[in-house]
Amino acid sequence: MSWVGRSIRRVEDPTLLCGAGMFVGDIGGAAAVRFIRSPVASGLIGGVHGPAYTIADLDADGVGNIEAVLHRPDYVRLAQPLLARERVRYVGEPVAVVVGATAAEAEDLAEQVELDIEPLPAAVGLEAALAPDAPLVHPAESESNVMVAGEMATPGLVEALEAAHVIVELEIVSGRQAALPLEARGSHAVTERFGGRTTLHASIQAPHMVRTVICDLLGMPEADLRVVAPDVGGAFGQKLPLAREDAVLVWLSRRLGRAVAWIEDRSENLMASWHSREQRYRLRAGFDVGAHLEALQADVAANVGAWPCYPITWGVEPLMALAELPGPYTPEHYGVRSRGIASHTCPMSPYRGVSRPVITLALERLMDIAAARLGVDPVEIRRRNLQSDFPHISPTGLRHDEGTYREAMELAVSHVDLGAFRARQSAARAAGGPQPGIGICTFSERTGYGTPAFAARAMGVTPGFENVEMSMDPSGYVTLRIGASPHGQGLETALSQIVADELGTDPSRVRVVASDTDRTPYGWGSFASRAMVLAGGATHLAAQKLAAQLGSLAAEVLEAAADDIVLADGRATVAGTSVGVDIAELARIAHHHTQRLPAGAVPGLSANAGYDPGGTFSNACHVAEVEVDPDTGGVSMRRFVVVEDAGRLINPMIADGQIRGGVAQGIANALLEEVVYDEDGNILTTSLMDYLPPTVAEIPDIEIMHLETLSDATVTGAKGLGEGGTIGAPAAVLNAVNDALAHLGVELNEMPATPERVRAAVRAAAGGNSAGETNRSTQEAPVQ
Amino acid sequence: MLDDEAGPQRRPAVVAVKPARFAYTAPDTVEDALDVLDRFGDEAKVLSGGQSLVPMMNFRLARPEVIVDIGHLGGLDGMSVSNGALTVGARTIHARLEAPAVTTPDGRSEPLGGVLGSLLPAVARFVGHLPIRVRGTFGGSIAHADPAAEWCILARTLDAEMVALRRGGERAIAAEDFFETVFTTSLAPEELLAAVRLPVLGDDWRTGFCEFSRRAGDFAVVAAMTAVRLELATGVIAEARIGVGGVAGVPVRLGDAEATLMGETPSADLHAAAAESAAGEVDPVGDLHGSLGRARVARARAPGAGASG
Ligand SMILES: Cc1cc2nc3c(=O)[nH]c(=O)nc-3n(C[C@H](O)[C@H](O)[C@H](O)COP(=O)(O)OP(=O)(O)OC[C@H]3O[C@@H](n4cnc5c(N)ncnc54)[C@H](O)[C@@H]3O)c2cc1C
Repeated sequence: MSWVGRSIRRVEDPTLLCGAGMFVGDIGGAAAVRFIRSPVASGLIGGVHGPAYTIADLDADGVGNIEAVLHRPDYVRLAQPLLARERVRYVGEPVAVVVGATAAEAEDLAEQVELDIEPLPAAVGLEAALAPDAPLVHPAESESNVMVAGEMATPGLVEALEAAHVIVELEIVSGRQAALPLEARGSHAVTERFGGRTTLHASIQAPHMVRTVICDLLGMPEADLRVVAPDVGGAFGQKLPLAREDAVLVWLSRRLGRAVAWIEDRSENLMASWHSREQRYRLRAGFDVGAHLEALQADVAANVGAWPCYPITWGVEPLMALAELPGPYTPEHYGVRSRGIASHTCPMSPYRGVSRPVITLALERLMDIAAARLGVDPVEIRRRNLQSDFPHISPTGLRHDEGTYREAMELAVSHVDLGAFRARQSAARAAGGPQPGIGICTFSERTGYGTPAFAARAMGVTPGFENVEMSMDPSGYVTLRIGASPHGQGLETALSQIVADELGTDPSRVRVVASDTDRTPYGWGSFASRAMVLAGGATHLAAQKLAAQLGSLAAEVLEAAADDIVLADGRATVAGTSVGVDIAELARIAHHHTQRLPAGAVPGLSANAGYDPGGTFSNACHVAEVEVDPDTGGVSMRRFVVVEDAGRLINPMIADGQIRGGVAQGIANALLEEVVYDEDGNILTTSLMDYLPPTVAEIPDIEIMHLETLSDATVTGAKGLGEGGTIGAPAAVLNAVNDALAHLGVELNEMPATPERVRAAVRAAAGGNSAGETNRSTQEAPVQ
Repeated sequence: MLDDEAGPQRRPAVVAVKPARFAYTAPDTVEDALDVLDRFGDEAKVLSGGQSLVPMMNFRLARPEVIVDIGHLGGLDGMSVSNGALTVGARTIHARLEAPAVTTPDGRSEPLGGVLGSLLPAVARFVGHLPIRVRGTFGGSIAHADPAAEWCILARTLDAEMVALRRGGERAIAAEDFFETVFTTSLAPEELLAAVRLPVLGDDWRTGFCEFSRRAGDFAVVAAMTAVRLELATGVIAEARIGVGGVAGVPVRLGDAEATLMGETPSADLHAAAAESAAGEVDPVGDLHGSLGRARVARARAPGAGASG
């Protein structure tokens, strides 16, 4: 019986659930570091007075600047100092740093530091940053705030739009959001008194990459820096890029020769960690008489904040939108301009789903609006437009491997019983009061991509592969060292299932070592729904090699042919016989009786493997049911259904957990969470009273069903699914909100759909064609 | 998954709380507490459940010199009924009001019955989340005077009396005079809020409480409470009280809407008329989560909506 496919319990959980986890904040024994941050969005630094270190101290030590680069002509290159130099560019930008014996003492020291900053006008929102006379965020390097501008069009786009039966235009806006990990960022650095090696414990997703860039910045050999990600309390992309603070910590501990720790607090995390998703899409779509999407034209603007993130750069959101916008649909003609716009706001990093929650929102609102315009059912219009011939090559050249776009939708809608819902809905419309609504969302999720996909982006640093090192010790237990850096996903458990199947052993005999540069092979870490595909693929390959070693050893011991050896249930047996030997016995022999090894065999049992695939597409259909009170604008979730196809499920329970958490974040993105700045660039959402993650009361039960299309694009048949929940939920929820209020003529294309926005849309609909989201799209057509 | 070879062991962590420096005292008796308050005046702050004060200190928005922790005092806890009033001790935690019990004169504890007995739990469940309700206190909430706090709305709607102690003196302050503006009351720095007296409502009272908030447990964007006394023989409304929180610096009473109800027989039309005049009486101040305007206020206030007592 195979271990893959079984919902075995997570080995990670007892430690975490019993409160025995070790997070950065648990390490202790260090002086407290407090960063002093800019109180203004834009300004010139006149001086910093008081007991603090500044960029001058880093410069004096020859510390370098961060350079997050894309090699493309439309990309503005910058050198980013670790602390602000001359200029501040957002509220929360680190300007200076103090070190105190305790956090309270560091706070006292911080109060003694005076920042002498001459405020300058700031460009805050997208429109402000795009205005002709907008204050520039990087005036020395760029004459506008456009930091990256991708453009492409298939030949024949214009003609196709002209020939269309119906043109649908719409504007989609996504508010700025924060990933909000339960544990904020933090790091702890200690430098050995003799030898001078530094150990950095940090709450991060990619320890090897962080080691490389910090060593580059500080001009030190990588062998002298050990980077460890201990238990990490959530990351979601926010802990993927280099944190300037972590590099400063290493510098401080080396300079002061003492242990230092920085534990980011919640306000700091909301203000000065990374944000994401502030985007605006203008779509112009041509449909034929049969409601087929023939041509899609888009203008995308992403507010990318004041600085790029390393190594992903500030191309991450706009360029992903450019490449992936056609989504699961098949327009023959596609044209897009997608720009990253700098502003005097907190920089952006990837956040679970990156651009895809907004891409999906745009496409799925488009489908519902087009369906209404064309008099077609929302399910039917999708049926006619979803991919069904595989592999499908998108207009931007992405290869979609086989998926179940239509099947997933059909299963989801039959499960929710749309007919019964519509009956309830008409009863509620007759009765007045809160109104039920239902929303469908179908989408594709590009996952598990390695170097080939990243190389296409022309990044200054090209991430991609994953390596693993596997060995069996004399007791027959397996140690698997991985370059990926799981932080709560259950990867250790899932990998042990893959190993167990290949080696015929039990998952409880597998130990996974991760997240420590001293003890693991170089790898890129855990992000982009990749770890199961990449680290899982490498593990599968390494396990096959180790199985072959066990096989030939068993053949020697049993005097049989290697091809006839079967590894199962902890034994190596000759196929079709009961002749066999315990794998643990073979492990002993491989180490302690090496005279019995075949001639020329290497003592011990170990195998390394790397894996670097081109990528695969998962797909899913989400259905949300909501209740909207048109009088208060309040939206409550009633039901949420997911049909997911992520290929082979290694551990279904873990897959479900990923989906549930993702959907919860997606619902929050759709209804609750928004980072708000005032027009001067002061951030208004710096506590959890203002930035609103959901509680369990706001999230309904999430009903999950799976389809399993075994992908030929990965060695295990598994596709990634870490981000899908977050990608699909916002569109499903917004479609449901619109459906609930459709009889009032409401159209709401902005997330989060706060009570205020819902009320504004209700008022706009009641007042005929007064201002509102709906007619913005008619004022400004996409540029092309 | 910390290193098991040479890695750090769990040591006293970097203490992440960071209020400004303060002196701390935890007196054993009310008299001692009043002495300290008398001596330090507005340099001192009473610490009750700490659910509002401690966050403000960690943000350094509050920087008291002296903290007077009343968590160890006897005598400020619990509920009792006398002279037509329910006295709620200032130190009574919110959770106790979810299943209110009174101490009888002979020292027994029995469930609080009647209209208040069902109203208080219906309101209590809107106060924060359980971890807050087992620490935060009724008196702390009243003294903190958040205009959207449920207990402040209740106190104002029912015309509660606040019992304030100072060294050598005691006074009762009417709710109307107690709440001055956001987070500001007429309590003097030397005074300790000892208890709140709520009128016991007879069986001829009907009450309702309704709240709109972004998430379960959040402070209300807007909350409204109604209490009406019915002439049982005729079914006519003999007394009407409508209080709203979240729309101004203090919880407010809506006199016009109350007047609309007086002397009338309850009906859907009457409720609509009262809601209409209520909407005319408030002009909500917008904040991040609420500038929704009047429609919301009017609906939330319809008598009979939400919890009933
Ligand atoms: C996440 C969260 C959600 C919350 N949600 C709600 C909610 O929905 N509704 C709600 O009403 N509250 C809510 N609260 C606040 C909570 O109810 C507090 O318990 C309450 O506001 C204050 O009570 P406390 O006992 O904690 O007082 P403390 O925080 O100790 O004190 C608050 C203030 O009152 C003063 N004070 C306290 N007791 C006395 C006294 N006896 N005499 C004189 N002065 C005194 C203190 O000096 C201080 O200024 C929430 C709190 C949190 C953290």
